[in-house]
Amino acid sequence: MSLLTIDGLTQRFGGLQAVSEFSVEMKGGELMGLIGPNGAGKTTIFNLISGFYQPTEGTITMAGTPTAGLKPHQVTSLGIARTFQNIRLWHDMTVLDNIRIAQHYRMGYSVWDSVIRGKKYREREQRIREIAEELLEAMSLTEYAQEFPKNLPYGLQRRVEIARAMSVRPKLLLLDEPAAGLNSADVEDLIKLVQWIHDNFDITIFMIEHQMKVVTSLCQWIKVIDFGATIAEGTPEDIQSNPAVIKAYLGDDTI
Amino acid sequence: MQKYSLNILMAACAVVLLMLAQFRILDNYIQAVVMFVGINIMMSTSLNLVNGNMGEFTCGHAAFMCVGAYVSSVLSVLFFGTKLGDPMLPASMAVIVFPIIVLIGGVFAALISILVSIPSFKTRDDYLAIITIAVNYMVISAIENMDFIGGSRGFQGMKDTVWAMKDTLNGPWMLFWVIAFTAFTIWVIRRFITSTYGKGVNAICQDEVAAEIMSVNTNKIKTINFMISAGLAGCAGGLFAHIVGYVNPQSFNILKSTEAMVMVYLGGMGSLSGAVISAVVFTGLLEVLRSQAIMDVLLAPATFVFPDWEPSAGVIKWVMIPLLLVLIMQFRPEGILGNKELSDVFPKLKKYYTFK
Repeated sequence: MSLLTIDGLTQRFGGLQAVSEFSVEMKGGELMGLIGPNGAGKTTIFNLISGFYQPTEGTITMAGTPTAGLKPHQVTSLGIARTFQNIRLWHDMTVLDNIRIAQHYRMGYSVWDSVIRGKKYREREQRIREIAEELLEAMSLTEYAQEFPKNLPYGLQRRVEIARAMSVRPKLLLLDEPAAGLNSADVEDLIKLVQWIHDNFDITIFMIEHQMKVVTSLCQWIKVIDFGATIAEGTPEDIQSNPAVIKAYLGDDTI
Repeated sequence: MQKYSLNILMAACAVVLLMLAQFRILDNYIQAVVMFVGINIMMSTSLNLVNGNMGEFTCGHAAFMCVGAYVSSVLSVLFFGTKLGDPMLPASMAVIVFPIIVLIGGVFAALISILVSIPSFKTRDDYLAIITIAVNYMVISAIENMDFIGGSRGFQGMKDTVWAMKDTLNGPWMLFWVIAFTAFTIWVIRRFITSTYGKGVNAICQDEVAAEIMSVNTNKIKTINFMISAGLAGCAGGLFAHIVGYVNPQSFNILKSTEAMVMVYLGGMGSLSGAVISAVVFTGLLEVLRSQAIMDVLLAPATFVFPDWEPSAGVIKWVMIPLLLVLIMQFRPEGILGNKELSDVFPKLKKYYTFK
């Protein structure tokens, strides 16, 4: 059974057709890439999947549950986590707190418990803390647990953001341009990190990326969109030699 | 030991205060000032929950105080007073029923806060500020038009309850309840805001979109946060009404809200200990500057130059206090403590106490 099914997804903002007839079917464990020139509608597709926009037409089904009408936090609790193109951590809270807050949906205690602090509260809080610390350990971020993200270098902030997304324990991880703004050494680390996450957690990854190096070394299947429409899809080798893709990226030379 | 040191210190202070009040070493005036410090601590810490921790901008906090004050006053008069018919409960029950009355006032204030929290799902900052001012005026105008509770003439008769408590067991009851509710307020806020649940509030402040995407139910957290804040302000209002023994809608107008805001900004946004300290400092200043003698000394250079000018302390303090605010904002724009707690500013204090 497929994990994420998107069928005929269309999004219009007034007269602008940002996404048209986008369809995809992702099986569990896949690592798919989404590429396209600037303004092609890639981030819009991510915003639609994560419930931030409601699609004009088309359906999104996550593990058998249609996401239409759900709020973003409800979509997240279905097992979809995402990162942002420009890092959106909570910069004035410690890295540990950043990871703890992302577990809000399975916190399992009410506001009364948080004030009275009975047994249930202590157990749950303990559990949240354990999960957060395990994850920091796994992502080799333990030494930064008490740091504020704003004081960390950009590459580490990326890592923290991915860790925060992972703390939701997602089935599907959406990475929005994870390599944006990283230097080449950081990009190497990122490729290793994403590969490692994909190998060690039972997870499906859908990523937007501009850097062909990242996409070709990670993704098994690539979709290319331009002006909201899917213009090509296939394995990295196919895509690199596809004339429509080259035209979309480099322009038409028949002037 | 250090886990409880602060609590023990606080409890000791409270006991000493109560003893001093019981044996009339503190006169009624000092007692009243201490009680207003408590009320102001409740107001500033509860407003800090919204303006500081959640980063919303509300400036109608007195509306919730007003609702709490009126609801608890009416209940108090119904149960123990003679103003609205015979007392419904025997006077000996006043001691037990009084805190419940104050809490009910808080609950009603919390319900009124839904008027603010629902618009806050869609809007924030300046637009929400206007909505909160609107709510403040709504509450005041509604009460001014309710003739059965006095309308714009105000409402009194709550002192019956206070006297009923005194008759049952002689002691400084109001002082006791103010201290108890102040401790309760700080306790609730501190526990809420340090739990993973309450940290969602901070997440909303720093990046609402990221909070929603990372599974924080932002609408629910906002509503809860507004309700806690308004509920505690309502409790403060109930106590205020019983200390003064008289409430008037106009005493909860935008000026009162501004006072609460001033305390929050003075103490530092999002700092609980800052809000407490600024409430103490602010109330203290208000009282100290009421003294004509101190004001004369402060203004001696000016009156020397203009010998005909005889400034009255009651009026001129409203020049001095805003001026002080302007100066603080100029030289320390983040407030007394910034967004840090006292133990972050002075790490050595951590050796002596942890506050949970």
